[in-house]
Amino acid sequence: MTEFLQQLLNGISLGAIYALIALGYTMVYGVLRFINFAHSDVFMVGAFIGYYAGQHLPHGTIGGGLAAMAAAMVGCAILGIAIERFVYRPLRSSSTLNVLITAIGMSLFLEYTGQLVFGATPRAYPALFPSTIVSVHGLIISMNQVVVIVVAAILMVALQFAVFRTKIGTAMRAVALNPAAARLVGINIDVVISFTFGLGSALAAAGGVLYAINYPSIDPLMGVVPGLKAFIAAVLGGIGNIPGAALGALILGLVETFVDGSHWSTYKDAIAFAILIGILLFRPAGLLGRFTAEKV
Amino acid sequence: MPRPLAALLLAVLAAAGVSLFSGHIDPYYLDVLMGVGINVILAVSLNLVNGYTGQFSLGHAGFMSVGAYLSAWITLIEGPRILGASGGTAPEQAALFLCALVLGGLGAAAAGLVVGIPSLRLKGDYLALVTLGFGEIIRVIFQNIDSLGGALGLNGIPNYTTVFWVYSFAALTVFTVVCLVRSTYGRGFIATQDDEIASEAVGLNTTRYKIVAFVVGAFFAGVAGGLYGHFKLTITPDGFDFTKSIEIVVMVILGGMGNTTGVILAAILLTLLPEVLRAADQYRMIMYSVALIVLMLARPKGLFNFDYARLVRRLLGRARTAP
Amino acid sequence: MAGPILELDKVTIRFGGLTAVGGLDLSVGDGDLVGLIGPNGAGKTTVFNIVTGVYSPTSGAVRSQGRSLTGLRPDQVVAAGIARTFQNIRLFRSLSVFDNVRVACNLHRGTAAVQSLIRMRAFRDDEAAITRRAEELLDIFNLRRHRDAPATSLAYGEQRRLEIVRCLATAPRLLLLDEPAAGMNPTEKTDLMALIQRIQRDFSLSILLVEHSMRVVMGLCRRVAVLDYGVKIAEGTPSEIQSNPKVIEAYLGEPSGTGGT
Repeated sequence: MTEFLQQLLNGISLGAIYALIALGYTMVYGVLRFINFAHSDVFMVGAFIGYYAGQHLPHGTIGGGLAAMAAAMVGCAILGIAIERFVYRPLRSSSTLNVLITAIGMSLFLEYTGQLVFGATPRAYPALFPSTIVSVHGLIISMNQVVVIVVAAILMVALQFAVFRTKIGTAMRAVALNPAAARLVGINIDVVISFTFGLGSALAAAGGVLYAINYPSIDPLMGVVPGLKAFIAAVLGGIGNIPGAALGALILGLVETFVDGSHWSTYKDAIAFAILIGILLFRPAGLLGRFTAEKV
Repeated sequence: MPRPLAALLLAVLAAAGVSLFSGHIDPYYLDVLMGVGINVILAVSLNLVNGYTGQFSLGHAGFMSVGAYLSAWITLIEGPRILGASGGTAPEQAALFLCALVLGGLGAAAAGLVVGIPSLRLKGDYLALVTLGFGEIIRVIFQNIDSLGGALGLNGIPNYTTVFWVYSFAALTVFTVVCLVRSTYGRGFIATQDDEIASEAVGLNTTRYKIVAFVVGAFFAGVAGGLYGHFKLTITPDGFDFTKSIEIVVMVILGGMGNTTGVILAAILLTLLPEVLRAADQYRMIMYSVALIVLMLARPKGLFNFDYARLVRRLLGRARTAP
Repeated sequence: MAGPILELDKVTIRFGGLTAVGGLDLSVGDGDLVGLIGPNGAGKTTVFNIVTGVYSPTSGAVRSQGRSLTGLRPDQVVAAGIARTFQNIRLFRSLSVFDNVRVACNLHRGTAAVQSLIRMRAFRDDEAAITRRAEELLDIFNLRRHRDAPATSLAYGEQRRLEIVRCLATAPRLLLLDEPAAGMNPTEKTDLMALIQRIQRDFSLSILLVEHSMRVVMGLCRRVAVLDYGVKIAEGTPSEIQSNPKVIEAYLGEPSGTGGT
């Protein structure tokens, strides 16, 4: 029983991180119908910003940890907005293929420049948050995991608020539903898109820091696999659907953790892709999504 | 004899000729030559899928690895049993190699079928990510097959690859893709990319076209994988990761999607460039990525996307009218 | 012959809570020229999409000469002899005018795909026959001189013509025309009407036509069916339809008014 609960806790914690990344994918897809390949690398940059910020902040304190995370979130929000403004925006009217290739280029650029700047060898992550471990009836709960779950939950509630209670959030939903109509009612599409990128990137950065404190080794290519899995989570939940991304991420985190604990553990990376293929075969709209067919 | 077939046979003979003289050629240039040929096979086969049929596949390296592992298993692991303790005569080895290459290609083609079928209803971004995912699944599977070396891969693969084999198959790849596409049937690939609904409305089975593109593309990628394995003599699952897939995709984009000549030129350039810019090897992927971004912003049709047939005709025409 | 060239039997399609087409009975006989009209959103293109296999009906059957078409793939429907044009012209923009027609000849290719690799006599002859046929079709419709131009470089009216030519390349028995007169001025409409009558005669076709232009519909069609909110509210000769009060009411005015010439 404790084993099960342990896995449950681990799975929720992992799912929370995937959710933070997945939300960025899903929001950008919602407003632009485009998968931002470079998003996984913003996650990576966030972890690195947290690393460097952490060198100037006290370790092992909640305040220090949150400050490092905030620095990462701000830094990546700026990065995300800059990428959109200078690289994606000029191509907004191009074919989706061209934008896709550009996004791939951007992703590679971030990864390999990262390797050049940070070096390819992995670094150990500082213990930003207090690394206390509590044992409750044999269940091992680490402070890091608690931080992940609490912070992720807070951020997602904040996101709900931003998306459903603010003007810009409503504007974002309007653009996602019908960009032409949104423009007609006076919404500044550029601002909304910048906001979406900034928000998504900030969440990914938070995810990056939280991931790094739990799997404390970072390198410039660290974003690739979690990024792909987060994307799969977003598709699982229904790409473009915000609660769907969170749901998909939670499910994926749990499945992956349970597989990892079984004797199929070496296949855990492949499991995520198998889920993707399954979803696309049997329910392409995802769990909470709606399929919009092409008008003939 | 039909012209394309004649051209193919001529190319094979030329490859054989060069191969006979290979003892007199500097081994470094020989290596580069073979690298170029293998990349041509990869790029031209991917071009059928990405360029002509418009299925943006990012998992081509996965098919390459299937061919590499399958052919290596036949020659390295099963080879001694088939050829006997003496290792077999040269013709026997050649026959084994040919079988290994073809079977590797067929294995990759089967993988292409497995990847192609779920991918059918996907477009653009989705398809790219799913094919990327498939490439990763294949990699993870090979990492877990201990009899094929697991994560450490296979060493000591027999050195069977020669200029003859590489360029014969390169010619065959180009021949196949060009002949397929330049026919009434083949125009269906382009139509499928252009407008699926209209394609179906003129009686084309777009599903079948997409599957054929994937399977044929995968077959030749598998052959390239086999040639690669018996050239580098070592293969690991990580050597066929998405970075490799992206390198091939860059060749297709640079060459102009759907322009076989352009893609061949791009493959040659992108194979030679790292050799020329050896010192800048650490910047290679950065330069690729910047090149992709700049290309899409400035010249999305690719750098080598010209109508070469018309170009040649114009040049010849001018030569004839010159005094 | 086992039945009319097209028969819709209580065809219904529902999208979620919306019944786009409800219990439609419609038939087109050999050599018929039938019009399908109705206000915007009445479901006319949806009917086309059902017949051509783009959508599967929720209930009901589609038949051609007694043979069921329900649930067939669009390319299979074309093979059964039914071709269609689109409301927003769907030419292949990456192909030339000539290739647009040639690619549509795939249905009646005499050789297998693999033979494009071997290229023996049979293949070359087949390709030559296809080329000849495509040239003839372009000739008949005065598009020969644009042969090698990109399909989208043609003038609007010529593009519509090309789309029809492309249909004819599939050797259909029934042609479904989706608003062929859209965006045309009165002269072009007259030419179009003459063209449609001509191809019906020369190619022995049956035609089902969706149109908003009442002049075109009344001038061409021997029979007209009227759709409103997915339901057939009237069917008859053009003059019967024009004076039918239910039809007039559906259009919120006279058919010859805002419907245009």
